[in-house]
Amino acid sequence: MNASHSIYDVIIVGAGLGGGIAAGVLAEAGQRVLVLERGRDLRYRDIPGDHLRHHRLSLYGDNTTHDPAGHPRVFVDPQGGSRTVFPHEAEYHNNALTVGGGSRVWGMQAWRFHPDDFRMVTRYGRPAGSSLADWPITYADLAPYYERAEHEVGVAGDHTTTHYAPRERAFPLPPVPSTPTGAWLARGAAKLGWNAFTPPLAVNTAPYQGRAPCVQCRQCIGFACPTDARNGSHNTLLPRALATGRCTLITRAHVARVLTDTSGRAIGVEYFAPTAPDSAQTERRTAFATTIILAGGAIETARLLLLSNSPQHPHGLGNHSDHVGRHLQGHYYPVVSGLLPAGFENPNLGPGVSIATTQFNHGNPGVIGGAMLANDFVKLPIIFWRSHLPPDIPRWGLANKKAMRELYLRGIDLRGPVQEIPSPDSRVTLDPHVRDRFDLPVARLSGTTHPETVRTAEFIRARAEDWLRAAGAERVWSSAMDLRLSASQHQAGTARLAADPRDGVTDSFGRVHGHNNLWITDGSLHVTNGGFNPALTIMALAFRAAAKIAAAH
Amino acid sequence: MPLSPTQLNALRALLDRLIPADEYPGALASGTDKFILQLLTHSCAAEATTLAQGLTRLDAEANSCHGQRFAALPATAQDALISALVQNRTTTPWPATVSAAAFVNRLIDLAAEGFYADPANGGNRDAASWRMIGYDPLLPVRPSAP
Repeated sequence: MNASHSIYDVIIVGAGLGGGIAAGVLAEAGQRVLVLERGRDLRYRDIPGDHLRHHRLSLYGDNTTHDPAGHPRVFVDPQGGSRTVFPHEAEYHNNALTVGGGSRVWGMQAWRFHPDDFRMVTRYGRPAGSSLADWPITYADLAPYYERAEHEVGVAGDHTTTHYAPRERAFPLPPVPSTPTGAWLARGAAKLGWNAFTPPLAVNTAPYQGRAPCVQCRQCIGFACPTDARNGSHNTLLPRALATGRCTLITRAHVARVLTDTSGRAIGVEYFAPTAPDSAQTERRTAFATTIILAGGAIETARLLLLSNSPQHPHGLGNHSDHVGRHLQGHYYPVVSGLLPAGFENPNLGPGVSIATTQFNHGNPGVIGGAMLANDFVKLPIIFWRSHLPPDIPRWGLANKKAMRELYLRGIDLRGPVQEIPSPDSRVTLDPHVRDRFDLPVARLSGTTHPETVRTAEFIRARAEDWLRAAGAERVWSSAMDLRLSASQHQAGTARLAADPRDGVTDSFGRVHGHNNLWITDGSLHVTNGGFNPALTIMALAFRAAAKIAAAH
Repeated sequence: MPLSPTQLNALRALLDRLIPADEYPGALASGTDKFILQLLTHSCAAEATTLAQGLTRLDAEANSCHGQRFAALPATAQDALISALVQNRTTTPWPATVSAAAFVNRLIDLAAEGFYADPANGGNRDAASWRMIGYDPLLPVRPSAP
């Protein structure tokens, strides 16, 4: 086979959750699939356990990016100042760069969206200046694919307590173990009359699909899992794709553009890849396919659509109504910290998230939407030092050192992913000046979320404080939220689903309007991002799109 | 070496007050100075000049107040000087590129990063800070992940 001019049934750009799932479904359906992934196929030992350079605290780098200097972005602050930013900086809005994508290092919360998350305008109206919209599909359309994701990727949960979204089958794995802090918070929720239950996590709580269970280590979110108990695309659907013999995975492959013919049909991709697997030399290649799927995350997928302009599509693919790159959103996260009562026995085991409430996802007086609230992952000492000591503790000297040893095991914090009210001005464009390693314009991030997001976040922050106080926290504190751009690991919205091409980028399955064989299976599709971690919704949409593509062949 | 011997002395004396030894090791016994030097040579090379300037200014402040370099001052005087600098209260001119507060706050962050990060970063020898606070990553000795 001539590697520089290969013909496939399907080319998938990005081997994260959305791309890996599409690869698995389509290869098993008999398609010949090429997966192009920018990152490397990292083993456990290749993802360092560096507490200063990982995907939850990336002070000087992270533990997956291999060419940080070669792929900057440009960030525009609310005052209009712009600067070049690199993957470890917050303003880059990074995600893990590896086969598996974010699912290699994620916190594993695997929530279905609430039925009302799909009909925000119907429920609340559209605030002026926002681009809030209903999804063109309902919860019921997605429910079978949520179920498929839960079983084929592997989610641990308790169907008898997870009531906010109707479901037909139990979770395939028992819920994560209850913890003393979870029980303490459950008593607080009961005092307040709130629901509280064990959240669903995509982690093996028992042996599943040939892999071992979680050993509850304390180096969890942001790192690779030492027992491979963390479920993602890299250890489920992507290996299934490769096992068919019909899927080719090329890593360190940077797609430069999607090629289209004069009718708008996608015919292939141009990409840069190493001349040999371990070579630093790269070459430009072209691959052709009858179906192209983009799954590079909401920032890079939007960038690729914009980079793929042509005389017929001068503003980029799917951008006939100027939605590509707009409505960029993630989640606002109010964080409320407190101290467990003195003497509290806290075994401090991973993953750490053990209780959640959906009491405030909807129906909150005076604000739009809301959030699920949960306790946090097991916390690294340096993260506790940076962000979770009480605000009146001196930052240095013996007093600080004593506080660290007296309070580390008493720290507790609650946080919740607040459903954002999207703004069309929060967006990805191509930077006119800065270029990447391959001389392609980089993503330029600008704008902020809509002010309604901040109001909802402040409401949720107050409820989290209520919860800690009701539980009996010795002290409770938090910081006010400000208006800013939000994307990061939960990045979404830049190629949103819309039945009418004037309202978005793709049809209700994720097929790009005006480009019959060009699909998207990542968070770009999300019209809104739910008051929950978005990964299971990315997975469900990927299963649904891939099933549709497979059925058409 | 990004620092002169005099600047290095000032750095070590400063670290010894930012995270002092008590019944548990402090920053110096844990190697936090070496962690910072390593950062200034690699990840934070761009900061080396300003931090070096700051250390020189720290000695100048000590000289101005007490007629001795920072490292030669008694602990109480060192602590008082650090407290003043954190609030940007200075008695000597600092360059426009490095404020006293920004300099000291950066060293406070760097000291904690070294002291509380994983021992492989070089500033948390024998995981002393982790044992002090009750943290152990509990990673399996033989990871079963591929």
